[in-house]
Amino acid sequence: MSILYDEGQQAIATESRRALEARVSKDELLPLLQTQGVYHQPFWATAKEQGWTALALPEAYGGLALGLIELGLIAHQAGRTLSGAPFLTSSFGAAKAIELYGSDEQKARWLPDLASGETIGAIAFAAGPDPLPAEPTVTLTGDRLTGIAGAVSGGLFADVAVVLASGPSLVLVDLSGVERAAIDSFDNSRCIADLSFADTPAETLATGDAARAAALHILALQAVVTAHEQTGGAEALMEVARTYAVTRKAFGQPIGAFQSIKHRIAELYGLVELARANCIHAASREGQADFITAAAAARLSATEAYDTAARDCVQIHGGIGVTWEIGLHLHMRRARSLALEQGSSFFWEDVLVDRLAGDEA
Amino acid sequence: MSDLEAWRAKAVAWCESMVPTFGKAARKGLSVEDDLALGRRYQKAKFDAGFAGINWPTDLGGQGLGHIEKITFEAEEMKHGFPNVYFGISLGMPVPVLMQFGPDRDFVKERVLKALQGEEIWCQLFSEPSGGTDLAGLRTRAETDGNGWKINGQKVWTSWAQYSDYGVIVVRTDPTVAKHKGLTYFWVDMKAPGVTVRPIKLAGGDSHVNEVFFDDVKISDDHRMSPVGGGFAVALATLMIERYVATDSAGFGPHLDLFVDLAKEVRLNGKPAIEDGRIRQQIARNYAMRAGLDSINVRARRMMEAGMTPGPEGSLNKLVAVRSRQKLSELALDLQGAGGFAFDEHASPKDDWASSWINAPTGRIAGGSDETLLNTIAERILGLPQDHRPDKGIPFNQIPA
Ligand SMILES: Cc1cc2nc3c(=O)[nH]c(=O)nc-3n(C[C@H](O)[C@H](O)[C@H](O)COP(=O)(O)OP(=O)(O)OC[C@H]3O[C@@H](n4cnc5c(N)ncnc54)[C@H](O)[C@@H]3O)c2cc1C
Repeated sequence: MSILYDEGQQAIATESRRALEARVSKDELLPLLQTQGVYHQPFWATAKEQGWTALALPEAYGGLALGLIELGLIAHQAGRTLSGAPFLTSSFGAAKAIELYGSDEQKARWLPDLASGETIGAIAFAAGPDPLPAEPTVTLTGDRLTGIAGAVSGGLFADVAVVLASGPSLVLVDLSGVERAAIDSFDNSRCIADLSFADTPAETLATGDAARAAALHILALQAVVTAHEQTGGAEALMEVARTYAVTRKAFGQPIGAFQSIKHRIAELYGLVELARANCIHAASREGQADFITAAAAARLSATEAYDTAARDCVQIHGGIGVTWEIGLHLHMRRARSLALEQGSSFFWEDVLVDRLAGDEA
Repeated sequence: MSDLEAWRAKAVAWCESMVPTFGKAARKGLSVEDDLALGRRYQKAKFDAGFAGINWPTDLGGQGLGHIEKITFEAEEMKHGFPNVYFGISLGMPVPVLMQFGPDRDFVKERVLKALQGEEIWCQLFSEPSGGTDLAGLRTRAETDGNGWKINGQKVWTSWAQYSDYGVIVVRTDPTVAKHKGLTYFWVDMKAPGVTVRPIKLAGGDSHVNEVFFDDVKISDDHRMSPVGGGFAVALATLMIERYVATDSAGFGPHLDLFVDLAKEVRLNGKPAIEDGRIRQQIARNYAMRAGLDSINVRARRMMEAGMTPGPEGSLNKLVAVRSRQKLSELALDLQGAGGFAFDEHASPKDDWASSWINAPTGRIAGGSDETLLNTIAERILGLPQDHRPDKGIPFNQIPA
């Protein structure tokens, strides 16, 4: 598969950028941080209107039958503007799980509404620091689920979740009756919640080794979307840093003339371009044997790019960089929440090295 | 099969057929002189097979193909460790510049053909003891002498000068104007009276770079390849010619597979090193970095195939890859502990960690230091301000030394 974007793909990038820049502003995002349980409605409304939720789903269920490449382009733009809701990734992950591992009945029941964005999906695999635990905290007995799925991104508003439960088994759960407790986070717009299952009906998608493999695959798909979002965030920060470095003056010259500043921005350029290259490559490997390897590389370089860009951009701004108002901390927070959401770098390093050493589990 | 795939298949087949005669095993244990002689034969074979001067004009002995064919061939060629290093600079910069700017076309044609067949080698005489990064700060001078010129001064770091027949050189012809306005570009006969070449032994043990002294070296004006005082532009053109040089995400050091193999063999604290988190992290980070570069390079190739111009991100290659090669090589030695001391001066930096490590610093300096590359990215790509240059606009002879 080609790793050059075609005209249609480039149009998606331009159009989504235009739509997002018109609809998302830092002044709307800042208040979200101080309140639990609020996401940025205009972002999600835009996503639905523009068909982003339908983009990578099959036509038979109201999708647009495009793929990870196109979704990645949008996630990149969402990352640039700091999308104020986690659902682009999590609904996509849940929908893909249903598409790949669900029955015809389950697909018919959930996919059309996930495609239109009316239904919101979530993924609940993690147990504490482990994004893919060998012993999940949620117990499956028969077709009933018990226990707490902790810190589910988007969990506060999700209608349906794909859960990794004991067995291991991958199950589909209607969340309508499920109790949720919002987590007060450094990035509240992620709408993170603990989901408490108490004898909750669940439908099995996969069991045993197949469940783990399926969960890793879903996590990798989400990681590639997230990596695009991280790269977008890093790119935006690099541009902000660059602009500030040519305008702000000290000692009679722009601070960008000091090599400790300009070289830092040049290093960011390197991190952003490596992450972008890995993202494009990973998206184009969907369905291939090396997809997980490519996803891990994308994830690692994008996390490094966004975290570094967040740190350095604040530093380059000096005092103003650490104020609430200017909002660089929005990116700092987002860089960290995205770094944790689909499994930390420790996890992806292990996945990658296992594959390179030829002994993947 | 596309034309390019057909070309690649042809390149693969030819390269493989050359391995017994010119591959790593055939070169093992040869002295530099013998290896160079083998290299000349290799270059001739390459020429005869139609793989020399791939993107050069046919009337000068080239193949008249595109850049994409050239890098496709080079990517295949690089896999086998053939003795082509002696011609890298010669055919990379000086000879293409001669093709472009050489005044006497018959002379040019003769030289280009000989260089392509490995009979003659050219070197590039830019750097001087007073500075390499600051190219326009050079001090070697040429004064008019009858109808021609007389060169005095010293160059340094000149790769392969000891084996070179000719060189391209930038010298100062007018010290009373701003520094980059007083330079002129010539070619010189390296065997001319007054030229002395003295090899410099490098940290890794080899001596491919040299000091070159010019004592009243007389050249006629037909050696001039730029207007008098217009040498800086030609020097920049020289540096720009190889913009998309052959790339290697391993930084011209060992492939990451070799490190993974090592980590599987070695035990750390009683366990295979591949299970150690510190080692795993380095492998993973290196892989992600190299995969990114590979992907940038593949994309650049695809763009060229499609008739587009690749983005500037190709400039990251050397900067990022060589730094990581240096650290990974240190780590590989760490892993071997006392077993890492063994050193063979002639081992290849492509598959020997000690050789890769000791030679890595040259990669961070030659062809633009890390700092220069960062400046280029910052200034040319990102539009950040130029460094403060106190010597700007001042006549060269009034710049405080
Ligand atoms: C193996 C090898 C082969 C070479 N082959 C050739 C050849 O064939 N022909 C040839 O002409 N030259 C050759 N060179 C020379 C090479 O181009 C120079 O070494 C290089 O340009 C650096 O110049 P320098 O060594 O004088 O270092 P300097 O210019 O003195 O630099 C010293 C340090 O200062 C830094 N520095 C300098 N200016 C700046 C700045 N503006 N901002 C930030 N940092 C700065 C440099 O990055 C470096 O770290 C070769 C060098 C090596 C090592």
